[in-house]
Amino acid sequence: MPLVGFPIIASLIIMGTISNVSEEVREKLVNPIRWAILLFSLGLLGLTTAMFYNYFGDLNGFEGIAFNSYEFTARYAWVDSLGIYWSVGLDALSFPMVWLTTLLLPITIIATWDEKNGAYYHPLILLMGGALIGVFVALDLFMFYVFWELTLIPMFFLILKWGGEDRKYAAQKFFIYTFTASVVMLLGLVTLYFLQNPLEPLAYSGTLTGRTFDIPELVNYSYHANMNGNWFLGASMQKIIFAMLMLGFLVKLPAVPFHTWLPDAHVQAPTGGSMLLAGVMLKMGAYGMFRLPIALFPHALEYFQLVLMTIGMVSLIWGSIVCLGQTNLKKMVAYSSVSHMGVICIGIATMQPIGWAAALFMMFAHGIISPHLFAVCGAFKHHYHSMEIGSMRGMAKHSPWLATSMMFAWMASLGLPLLAGFVAELMVLIALWHFLVAEGWSVLWMVGPALVLAVTAAYYLWSMQRTIFEGGDETQPPASMDGQPIPDIANHEKLAMFVLAMFTILFGVMPWIALDMMNDWSIQIFEGLIMPILGNFNGGV
Amino acid sequence: MSEVTYIQPFDDKFTTALLPELILVAGLFALIIIPNLGKATFRVPGTQIRLPYFLGGERYSLISNPRLPGWIAVTTLVLAFVEVMMTFESGLQRYMIVSELLPTTINGVTAGDVLVNGGSHILPSGSKELLLINGFSRLFEMIFFGAISLAAIASMNRLQSFDSSDRSTNALYNNRRQADFYILLLTAAMGMAIVALAQDLFVLFLGLELASFSSYVLVAFHKESKEGTEGGMKYFIVGSVASGIGLYGLSMLYLWAGTLQLGELSVAFDAAMAPQGSPALPLIALGFILVGFGFKVSAAPFHFAAPDAYAGASSPVAGILATASKAMGIVGLTRMLLIVASPESNDGSAIWLVALGILSVVTMTWGNIAALGSDNPKRMLAYSSVAHAGYMLAGLTAIGAWNWDPKLAGHGGDAAIMVMTAILFHLVVLVCFKLGAFLVLSILESEGEVSKMSSLRGLSKREPLLAVSMFIFMISLAGVPPMSGFMSKLLMIMGIVKVAIGNMGDALSNGDILSIGDAHWVWWLALIMVLNSAISMFYYLRVIVTMYFHEPEGDRQGPLPSGWQVRTAIFACVIASVFFGINADGLIELCEMAANSLNYSWASQ
Repeated sequence: MPLVGFPIIASLIIMGTISNVSEEVREKLVNPIRWAILLFSLGLLGLTTAMFYNYFGDLNGFEGIAFNSYEFTARYAWVDSLGIYWSVGLDALSFPMVWLTTLLLPITIIATWDEKNGAYYHPLILLMGGALIGVFVALDLFMFYVFWELTLIPMFFLILKWGGEDRKYAAQKFFIYTFTASVVMLLGLVTLYFLQNPLEPLAYSGTLTGRTFDIPELVNYSYHANMNGNWFLGASMQKIIFAMLMLGFLVKLPAVPFHTWLPDAHVQAPTGGSMLLAGVMLKMGAYGMFRLPIALFPHALEYFQLVLMTIGMVSLIWGSIVCLGQTNLKKMVAYSSVSHMGVICIGIATMQPIGWAAALFMMFAHGIISPHLFAVCGAFKHHYHSMEIGSMRGMAKHSPWLATSMMFAWMASLGLPLLAGFVAELMVLIALWHFLVAEGWSVLWMVGPALVLAVTAAYYLWSMQRTIFEGGDETQPPASMDGQPIPDIANHEKLAMFVLAMFTILFGVMPWIALDMMNDWSIQIFEGLIMPILGNFNGGV
Repeated sequence: MSEVTYIQPFDDKFTTALLPELILVAGLFALIIIPNLGKATFRVPGTQIRLPYFLGGERYSLISNPRLPGWIAVTTLVLAFVEVMMTFESGLQRYMIVSELLPTTINGVTAGDVLVNGGSHILPSGSKELLLINGFSRLFEMIFFGAISLAAIASMNRLQSFDSSDRSTNALYNNRRQADFYILLLTAAMGMAIVALAQDLFVLFLGLELASFSSYVLVAFHKESKEGTEGGMKYFIVGSVASGIGLYGLSMLYLWAGTLQLGELSVAFDAAMAPQGSPALPLIALGFILVGFGFKVSAAPFHFAAPDAYAGASSPVAGILATASKAMGIVGLTRMLLIVASPESNDGSAIWLVALGILSVVTMTWGNIAALGSDNPKRMLAYSSVAHAGYMLAGLTAIGAWNWDPKLAGHGGDAAIMVMTAILFHLVVLVCFKLGAFLVLSILESEGEVSKMSSLRGLSKREPLLAVSMFIFMISLAGVPPMSGFMSKLLMIMGIVKVAIGNMGDALSNGDILSIGDAHWVWWLALIMVLNSAISMFYYLRVIVTMYFHEPEGDRQGPLPSGWQVRTAIFACVIASVFFGINADGLIELCEMAANSLNYSWASQ
């Protein structure tokens, strides 16, 4: 699959080559390298867009989507003896994520066009993109885990090499936090692997072990094992493995109380790293939940429904309250990510088709909006040498472009109607309403999330007030500028933010371009998996 | 499948069977003799005739090269390694070397012919099985020779050599450390190979001591530094005490069973462990032997000498201790625990199961936590090697439980083979990335002390390729995909989980309700292992951070001293570390074959 292999190989070759040339030659090579990588990633974007038109239908409907069926599949034996295959494929769950990754790659490269040490920086971004795509297209547990861990390495280096002052602490915390969670997840995967019966091996089983890592096979098998009130693997075991997998995904998401790595990583990460981290990497958590524990263990999902709901609520509320108290612009945006990931969690926990479609769309919309937020933060830091809210006032007067971009991104993130974020938030609220009614609970529970939206609006508006509008004496630049004239953002930054803004509007006004696909997928998974297994449960349609 | 050719020493097939070891012996002789060759002549008394006798005198120009012993040793070791590889390549023959065979035909089978395993009845009563050559021991020979030849190549530039213009034999004395070092490497390889082959505890002990004494001297060889002498002394004292305890254990076994043959001991053990309970003597003996080998694998709490020894020895030697010497300990433990005190009886859980499980948990946790706090990269690697020993002991523990599930009858042996495969795979790839990491330190060491993490600072600026290599070694050690370290850790976890889950897959199809409590408790070893590997992330990452994100120390600037030999060795390690990670299939099959040949009762299940 060229989507995965080529970016990784290309970036490794580039980095291997430039590490052997002298400093001067490397400086000269920066420009050709970043142009090449930009064109390459634009090519990838073109490829995924063409895939979208060819195989996922046109803009009018997605009739071909069915649960557990995949397009663009390819399979090569990797480690025969253990049943490991290089197995890739796309469905309506992974496709938006892959497209989002390929969209964000060129935009990230453009937005951080003159990052220092570009000869290493841009290949690393490309490597990151390749690994992320690998996570989304993998249809083999082993391959999934390999790419899951592989994404850590470029991000670790991005934070370490290009990060802020506390970058070492942040990078190590980031790495160890997510690594710990993923090894627990790995143990869960291995336990799941060995709970297969080698006497009746599934397809693609290993010659040595008689078991398979193949995700579609496992999903298919667990579907039948879960029927008629039976629990695949037995009730207790299913819950344990579900919890082990969810730990890995919740830390990555991140959900309170596992979220503390995120603000540190974001504040210290360079702009490009933050854009990819918030844009795509966090979505790996939610994607993984849909791909593995939900598809394999619907019973356990129902069992843990309220736990998940609580985690989502706490993330949502805690994230936004902490935002109110932040003085660091980037940290505020990072906590707002925690809060938005809580929305995804709630969407999943409602166990409604509309809630899942909303979660999927939230992943997508947040993937477009949050890079915009971080691009603004990066430009802010780049040009004003400070990240403190209030250190820079009156931006509207002297930096109209940045002020406009910031305002737009902030509005999109707080869920302004007609922008992408609004659609997802509204759908989650509807799903939550359904959930409360179905559970027979008081709909007053809605007050919490609804109030949080107000809080969100409050911290965003307040921070805008203190940066864009207040003060603004052009003759008195802030102290961090050392008396230099105040520049507006550069053209490449304008371009990147403009493109992101256009997509935010596009998916806000015409959400069905992506939403139809997600809606169909969640209806399919409900009709094909959840309803047959769980029967008439409270969270049903 | 399990056909073994019985041969006597110096039979016609003897050379074929023991060719790698014979190569080593030849190399040893060459190493001793060749540097002495010269133009010496002998005048026949009363005449003017001078007969050349070649020993001594003015030496030939090629021979007077002080690096010659190194080249001889490397050639020997590489030849032995290649020979082992070729036996794998050309289909493996199994040989059992016995002290005496009946010359006549019994039961229609001629001695020396191919026999089905278990045909030991054709041996006369006094005859002993000495050495067994099969996939398992061959694989270990491969590990030993591979690791030691890499270390030999890498140490070529490390030892000081003096002017080679002096061609007299006296110059040999000035450069005698060259020859000594490589002779010790060869004897260590020899001893380790004997341990891998031995079927008699006495032979095993001989090999163990040969390897141990060589390694004591090798550790102390780095006498330029104070730590070298100290480390060597500590290693010697603790090591000899451990050997002594082990020997005491062997003697108690002999007292109990009247034999030191592995096969006979195994039978005796099985008989003793049958329903009437367990006699104390063999168990105490087993405990003592565990101490002896526990020292070799540096399992906590017998690991105290290891950090000092690793820090004191020159890095290639420390690399040998961490890879080949550890593999030797694992062979010994495997033979003692899985062959002699084999867990085949009644409920299937071996008598030593709990003890070894606790030992493994203590070892991996202690190693990792101690490594967190050490600022000396070599000590850090030593503690990480303790942790890795813990992972392997966890694997051995799991094998001890392989047939715990009564429902497993039929295919339980698969699980044992799987874990053994994982242990073997781990030992092989450990040579790549552990030894490789030590070799990188070795280059740094040729510039000055490497007793502080800060000496690694700025390596990425000084030597980008070395830094990348070290980076790959570190993430391999930590077990990050797609490196080979991840593959080995995954295999280990998979093996342990497979044992623990047992036959629960069957129960699932019957609709039984299961919980993790239904699995064997070795499952928790897997959990502790993954948590430990998360802890280990801290100190491996610290090395990476130090290399990439700290400026070089004041007087340590610019590229490091050259030495293409050690760089070649590092390069080979890097290639292997990555290759076995992304294309592990071949090696897994090889290890599986070796694991299969260890214990026929697994394969026959």
